Amino acid sequence: MTSPTQKDHKPSIRPADEARVLPSGEREFFMDVATSDLEINMGPQHPATHGVMRVLLRTDGELVTGAQPHLGYLHRCAEKIGENVEWLQYLPYTDRYDYLSAMNNNLSYSLAVEALMPELEIPRRGTLIRMICAELNRIASHLVAFGTYGLDIGAFTPFFYAFREREWIQALFEKICGARLTYSYIRIGGVFNDAPPGWLQEVSDFCDVFEEKWQEYYDLLIENHIFVQRTANVGVISAEMAYDFGLTGPMLRGSGVDFDLRRDMPYMEYGEAHAAGAFNVPLGTGEKGTVGDCWDRTQVRMVEMKECLGIVRWCLEQIEPGPVIGDVPKVIKVPPGEAYVGIENPRGELGHYLHSDGGKVATRCRVRAPSFVNLAVLEDLMPGTLLADSVAIIGSTDIVIGETDR
Amino acid sequence: MGILEEAFEENVLTTRVDWLLNWAKLNSIWPMTFGLACCAIEMMAVGAAHHDIDRFGAGAFRATPRQADLMIVAGTVNFKMGERVKRLYDQMPSPKYVIAMGACATGGGPYFKYGYTVMKGVDRIIPVDVYIAGCPPRPEALLEGLMTLQDKLRRTPVIRKPARLLPADQA
Amino acid sequence: MDFQAIADHLSVAKVPGLLSLELPRPADKETKDKGRSGLPYVCVDPARIADFLTFCRDDDALGFEVLIDITASDPNAEDENLWILVQLLSVQHRQRLGIKCLLPKSALSMPSSTSVYRAAQWHERECMEMYGVNFEGHPDPRNMLLPDDWPGYPMRKDYEFPKEYHGISCE
Repeated sequence: MTSPTQKDHKPSIRPADEARVLPSGEREFFMDVATSDLEINMGPQHPATHGVMRVLLRTDGELVTGAQPHLGYLHRCAEKIGENVEWLQYLPYTDRYDYLSAMNNNLSYSLAVEALMPELEIPRRGTLIRMICAELNRIASHLVAFGTYGLDIGAFTPFFYAFREREWIQALFEKICGARLTYSYIRIGGVFNDAPPGWLQEVSDFCDVFEEKWQEYYDLLIENHIFVQRTANVGVISAEMAYDFGLTGPMLRGSGVDFDLRRDMPYMEYGEAHAAGAFNVPLGTGEKGTVGDCWDRTQVRMVEMKECLGIVRWCLEQIEPGPVIGDVPKVIKVPPGEAYVGIENPRGELGHYLHSDGGKVATRCRVRAPSFVNLAVLEDLMPGTLLADSVAIIGSTDIVIGETDR
Repeated sequence: MGILEEAFEENVLTTRVDWLLNWAKLNSIWPMTFGLACCAIEMMAVGAAHHDIDRFGAGAFRATPRQADLMIVAGTVNFKMGERVKRLYDQMPSPKYVIAMGACATGGGPYFKYGYTVMKGVDRIIPVDVYIAGCPPRPEALLEGLMTLQDKLRRTPVIRKPARLLPADQA
Repeated sequence: MDFQAIADHLSVAKVPGLLSLELPRPADKETKDKGRSGLPYVCVDPARIADFLTFCRDDDALGFEVLIDITASDPNAEDENLWILVQLLSVQHRQRLGIKCLLPKSALSMPSSTSVYRAAQWHERECMEMYGVNFEGHPDPRNMLLPDDWPGYPMRKDYEFPKEYHGISCE
């Protein structure tokens, strides 16, 4: 068969009287073309893959018939490093897996080490500042998810608005610990240093301003008709599928499963916060389409941002002066044992499994990264969708490749 | 520039033409979206409204290397990604520049010692023009890196001989 | 249910593969035992892991619908066993369970749990490339995070860091 651009090309078209007439009145023409599925590479350098991820797509025209994610383009050997550096020296590496929510990563690691050191007491002020920082970081992370998801879909404006609030949160973090992105602030035993004077008042001001802005962002993108059409009924994950794939976090709640580690298996003082009515857990209800579609997941993340403000306000009411870090020796030697502690990261359950033999260095430091587990669902979600929907689906999983590859 | 490159002796006319060409180049460097890891988020913050990179003319981030002038390697490069980095660098048309942003792209970063698959610096595979230190560098540091690159361009003669970087007062 | 209740339920039901429990204990100077802090684990025979996990998932009292993690651990280079660690979560009963299997390094092979939980597929792939464990019946045993031709099993304690890869120095 020759290509249409060649000179001796003879298109094979059936004669006009053999063409059928369709119900709309048009005549149908047939061209005998043989097609085969096209294998396209999406990534690793791609504006919409949220980092360096490669998805090998097999498409039949616009329809995706197969998808295979390939990882490892950002594999930085975090687990091997965990076996070679001391307990406290490993903390900066924890920042860098899910770099959008570094406080939560530090928190997960610190809680896991503290689970192995039961006699270490963490002062209450330290716990409350940890909670404030973790929740502010959750807001910052969901803002990036919201902004970049809009960017993937084709909406450029939400990105700039999201980063405006995010700059404020980063300025707050810079005042308390000196870094904008990778904090290493939540340490074993508490937090590194106390908040400077005026910081708590500024956090309170931020909460008031953000509440108004939140409603603007919700109406700008989430309620936007085009966004709804792009994301509703796309990438539907049922609850059984979510359980089977081990999904946690907004991916699970978007499918209607009412489970949040902060409320149901509480750590730090989230249990007391929930009992005092500080926050609720949003669920996907299938409002615009089916339960468990991309719109539901994005809506869960948006409403979670507002609920974080409730937790921050509760902590601000409860906070009292006092020490912020427990009695931690300069060189930490963790007693022998093993522990797994999982917390609610903005992306799901981030867990650290630590095994210690009593020394200065861990024997095994395993990171259970939520994005790694959430990504596996793409192999089953993407076949059967259109090519433009695949971008919407990848964006709704809200993955961070630093965490996927560690 | 082709046959015009380094073709002329230094005189008033070629100096001014060089200045004009360099002025046009340095005020419209279009980067490629090449964020790999955490530094990519600071690069996105530079692209956002607060630290605006568009006022330097470099706001048009092109996704394809064929249309980009500048590759900001923001993040850790490991061996698996390094082959792709080299391929993308080869796909960029001349004149092309590379900024190694962050400690990982400069020299391996915190993964220097025990990272077995981490390439200790992206300059092992592609030539780098500007290195920016930091982990991650502040957005202002990235802007200073961009300004350093602009400075380098300002001092590079295009149609004049000799083909070496001139001191700042002779640019 | 707390761990002891779960363990009693498992032993009463005579679940296949259940071997013993590892509980935290305080340090004991007389027997020179450094003690064990942290969380308790259930020890399971690796050959029966798929049946054990099926029971944990389908039983009403346990109801572990979500597989959180499958990983491996090499305690030290002289130890003859590799540990395979499984973590389960029950959403309806709000409980967790940690499972440990001891796999001799000379016979690193155990059945795969992909028939029980789909989430096991990627976790087992990572174990296979990092530790060299062979999960029989795994549908897709490719390398996950490392390049396809990476030599050795990096996470083992006797791993030697490579000197170079494809001509680029690793130092």
